Amino acid sequence: MQRDVGSLPLSPALRARLLAAGFQTAQELLETGPCGLSKEIGISKEEALEALQVVRQECAGDAAKAAGGSGSTRKCTALELLEEEQAQGFIITFCSALDNILGGGVQLTKITEICGAPGVGKTQLCMQLAVDVQIPECFGGVAGEAVFIDTEGSFMVDRAADIATACVRHCQLIAEAHQEDDHLKALETFSLESILSHIYYFRCRDYIELLAQVYLLPDFLSEHSKVRLVVIDGIAFPFRHDFEDLSLRTRLLNGLAQQLIIIANDHKSAVVLTNQMTTRFGQNQSVLVPALGESWGHAATVRLIFHWDNTQRLATLYKSPSQKESTIPYNITVRKWDHIPRLFRSCDAAVQPSLCSCQTDGFS
Amino acid sequence: MGMLRDACPHGAPRYPRVHYGTPWVPIPFPHRSLCFHPCSAPSRGAEAMVVLRAGLCPGLTEEMIQLLRANNIRTVVDFVSSDLEDVAQNCSLSYKALVAVRRVLLAQFSAFPTNGADLYEELKSSTAILPTGSSSLDQLLDAGLYTGEVTELAGAPGSGKTQVCLSIAASVSLGLRQHVVFLDSTGGFTASRLYQMLQARVEDKEEQLEALQRVQVVRVFDVYEMLRALHEVRDCLSQQVGSSAGPLKAVLIDSVSAVLSPLLGGRQSEGLAIMMQLAQELKTLAKEFSVAVVVTNQVTRDSSTGALKSALGRSWSFVPSTRVLLQGRAAPWEEGTAPLTACLAKSPRQPTGMQVQLDIDSDCVQEQRPVTPTP
Repeated sequence: MQRDVGSLPLSPALRARLLAAGFQTAQELLETGPCGLSKEIGISKEEALEALQVVRQECAGDAAKAAGGSGSTRKCTALELLEEEQAQGFIITFCSALDNILGGGVQLTKITEICGAPGVGKTQLCMQLAVDVQIPECFGGVAGEAVFIDTEGSFMVDRAADIATACVRHCQLIAEAHQEDDHLKALETFSLESILSHIYYFRCRDYIELLAQVYLLPDFLSEHSKVRLVVIDGIAFPFRHDFEDLSLRTRLLNGLAQQLIIIANDHKSAVVLTNQMTTRFGQNQSVLVPALGESWGHAATVRLIFHWDNTQRLATLYKSPSQKESTIPYNITVRKWDHIPRLFRSCDAAVQPSLCSCQTDGFS
Repeated sequence: MGMLRDACPHGAPRYPRVHYGTPWVPIPFPHRSLCFHPCSAPSRGAEAMVVLRAGLCPGLTEEMIQLLRANNIRTVVDFVSSDLEDVAQNCSLSYKALVAVRRVLLAQFSAFPTNGADLYEELKSSTAILPTGSSSLDQLLDAGLYTGEVTELAGAPGSGKTQVCLSIAASVSLGLRQHVVFLDSTGGFTASRLYQMLQARVEDKEEQLEALQRVQVVRVFDVYEMLRALHEVRDCLSQQVGSSAGPLKAVLIDSVSAVLSPLLGGRQSEGLAIMMQLAQELKTLAKEFSVAVVVTNQVTRDSSTGALKSALGRSWSFVPSTRVLLQGRAAPWEEGTAPLTACLAKSPRQPTGMQVQLDIDSDCVQEQRPVTPTP
């Protein structure tokens, strides 16, 4: 069966010319050849050659898949996907209640969005995750690196250093409790310097820089294949001011969302975005909703909303494909590590600090 | 294999089955009836916009083609719809030869009429109705998803579109033992959730694993990838090769607006062209191979009334034959767990405005008391 010319990834001007000249299927294009094609539609021979190259690639790709060859790696049965998911790790947040409602932690290959009013703790959680992704596998982490794209300038290195120190201390206590060789070996490479050196920091000042950075990210990730977390702190900020054309904003955001999901899927990393809140006026009341509009709500696979209830911070899981909607309270602490009771499970499972007494620096 | 309808509620259809993608060629011959049914052999690819080539039919020589081209007649449609006497004069070709060529071209490319009763019989034997796994949603859709049609589920983020799709996949692959293709463009397909739903329906582990194997997931994040994936599905079905394709009955696409919305809007019209190309692929897939196609869509707010409506604009609104709007809660972190409602926005069989309540529980999409239809 032949591919329609309209479904091939050619430039719109070229496609319009081909359709006007009467070409319907890819086979006809290939039969005409570059000279005939350039004469028929009035383009240069180089352009005709390029176009035919694209067409040949598409058809070759189709033929390979039809023959059952190793085509795209994105096609599998649900059973294989289930096995993949069960073997995949999570990035823990060191707050066991939050990990519980997320189903184990921040999932890899998905986009998680954290929305909240200012000061509620979004950047803190992002920094915590950038440190937690680097926890070695024997302690229950994914042993990856992190990319931190900052648009608001809210990344504080000394705070990140505090969180990293606390995390290292935590792992040291586990190693002391269990006394196993691989724990001690992993601890040699897991130090403050190594943690900070594996957080790749990018600063983007406006939306064009952000878009460019995201489009260049796949190349960066293929060089640094250990990256398992991409954080964009403040995706709303560059898009919320100085934008006159709202439909352009929607298009750009949707394109950005697709880019991010491709990155998350191809490189098996988690993408975490933070979003601001805005007011929506209802019939008789106004509510706080996540910013960037209704269509942006579809970009994230998992949506967490942080809000206040008097003086207590609450986290609600608003949207998730596999977990139920629930709310939990949380706190942000600045604690020095002095005494941690031994309430962890074995090293195979994720490190699960107990809710009541064990509080880590950062989230609890 | 699903239920068949005993009686078509509208009586025998008055129109022939249209093969989407084929332009109609109106010929003013008195002995032909005015309704056309294109050549039903899909392998011939009845596309009348084909460029005239030597050897397309006997009598069509290269020099004839050059002369015709000089007169701006390049494709079959141009040839057949032009006045042959004028053409014979301008191109200095024999009128008889041209008429002979036209007859052959018409026989090759044009449509044939069909009887309404035959059409009805064909429809009765090829259509199946697939249960969605939720009896209230089935009621809304008039007993379930009809194969040969495109059904759309639209809703705000978090309203349950992916859950309903997973429920449909579970019900078709477990209950009917048919294959399902799931095209995921948002990354929202979670196999563990599907497994949860299967576990809630049946106890036997073997059956659950078999059902999981019948669901094929393809991740497409770009509109061209989606077109390619749909083309592959069509290829597999037309060749009926291998057990991987199997008896396919449902194609679920979650979501179609994620790949189309980066292209729409603004001053470029390319987005509309691609959207219509995708629509054509979906409808052809549904009609030719008798599969039920389910797509999910976003919602936008109507600027005048403030009500929710499906995204992608007016042109897309003609593509699905049934549209269901899923409505969730406004600000979930403030209220309790309000039930989700499904409202029928467009349907060829049921009154629009019908509403039912869905409850997406931890096991499956369960139903609650259905709301009476509002006029």
